[in-house]
Amino acid sequence: MSRDDQIRFSNLVLPHLTDCFALARWLTGSATDAEDVVQEACLRAYRAINGYAGGNSRAWILTIVRNTAYTWLRNNRPPELVMVDDLDAAANDSSAHSLGGDGAGAGTPETSLIAKADASRLKDAIAALPAEFRETLVLREVHGLDYREIAAVTGKPVGTVMSRLARARQRLISELGTGKS
Amino acid sequence: MSDARLDNSLPLIHAYLDGELDTAETLAIEQRMVEEPLLAAERERLETLHRVLQEKLPRDTAPPDLRRRIERSIGLQAASSRPSWRALAASVAVVAVVASGTTWAVLQPQRGGDIADAVVSDHVRALMAPQSSDVLSSDRHTVKPWFNGRIPQAPRVVDLSSQDFKLVGGRIDVVERVPVPSLLYQRREHLISVTAVPKKDAASTRTRRTVGGYNIVAWKDDEVSYWATSDLNQKELDEFAAAFRAAP
Repeated sequence: MSRDDQIRFSNLVLPHLTDCFALARWLTGSATDAEDVVQEACLRAYRAINGYAGGNSRAWILTIVRNTAYTWLRNNRPPELVMVDDLDAAANDSSAHSLGGDGAGAGTPETSLIAKADASRLKDAIAALPAEFRETLVLREVHGLDYREIAAVTGKPVGTVMSRLARARQRLISELGTGKS
Repeated sequence: MSDARLDNSLPLIHAYLDGELDTAETLAIEQRMVEEPLLAAERERLETLHRVLQEKLPRDTAPPDLRRRIERSIGLQAASSRPSWRALAASVAVVAVVASGTTWAVLQPQRGGDIADAVVSDHVRALMAPQSSDVLSSDRHTVKPWFNGRIPQAPRVVDLSSQDFKLVGGRIDVVERVPVPSLLYQRREHLISVTAVPKKDAASTRTRRTVGGYNIVAWKDDEVSYWATSDLNQKELDEFAAAFRAAP
């Protein structure tokens, strides 16, 4: 690898390290594992730096982090904890698209319960989401990617991104909008 | 509204709040949310969830050690050297300057007068674009969250409809190579862009200028300088600035 590659890597990848770490942490659920994943992903990115065709460097490196994280999980976690690819079909349950609550308009108890959720409840609720829903929600709400970027990172059509995002939020609302603490 | 139409509208509320709809779709869903309390309630839940996530979810930062290890693993830094992100930042900065030397030198000294040029250019370009804003909504609770995640600080968005300045939307402009939020208001057929530039050395008192036939009123509040640009006459633009500043 040449000095040019190193410079390119510094300019393209290193500015996104915080993003990379945050995504890896949400996907693996552990800061220690996230460090391993990011380090591995950076090596992959460095080797592939010549294949980077320009465009959105953040989406590019987050794609590598995501794929590295799932490979890492497959190799290091029991299989039942790893994502199931046909989850979208399986999750087509009645709760997915229901309106929830009584829909009585402004100031429902549900809304005020959501507003009161603290950091640890939020983290737990997101961590409890199925992997596909979680990654989509995190890419949108934490990283602020738009639908097209999320589709690029996750390798899914925009329609799938939309439905996963909707279901992820619906689940968070049902979880946070109930009275238990 | 039938159940089927209700079901079809639900996913659109997400896209609406995420700023992913075009003009026609935006207006349609806004109308439907006005007509249908179930949709309005859903929107409120989703907005609350979004706000809570933005405000309370802790943001991770990468451990400093991680960066060092990565640099070392690709040979960017000798293992024996004193690891310092400053040294790396400096080397990256040097590269950036060398790579784009002239542009950088030319853009750097941009100050007050050039901000005025920049906001007028952005305003004119917005007027010529098929869509003058990136997020199109008359609702400030939609416009403000749209900026979250796109720029470090969402701007102050105020409702001035009672003073006959209607909020139309928002977009991201670039001033001195920094992305900044612009809000778009309308009076009669005149559009007003308000650009919020975070600057400490900005005009401290209200200033008026005319650049290329456009009136500008600039003022500063809380370390942010605001630049209102419009083809509206100076008197009414002053009125707008006063209303914007006075709004809660």
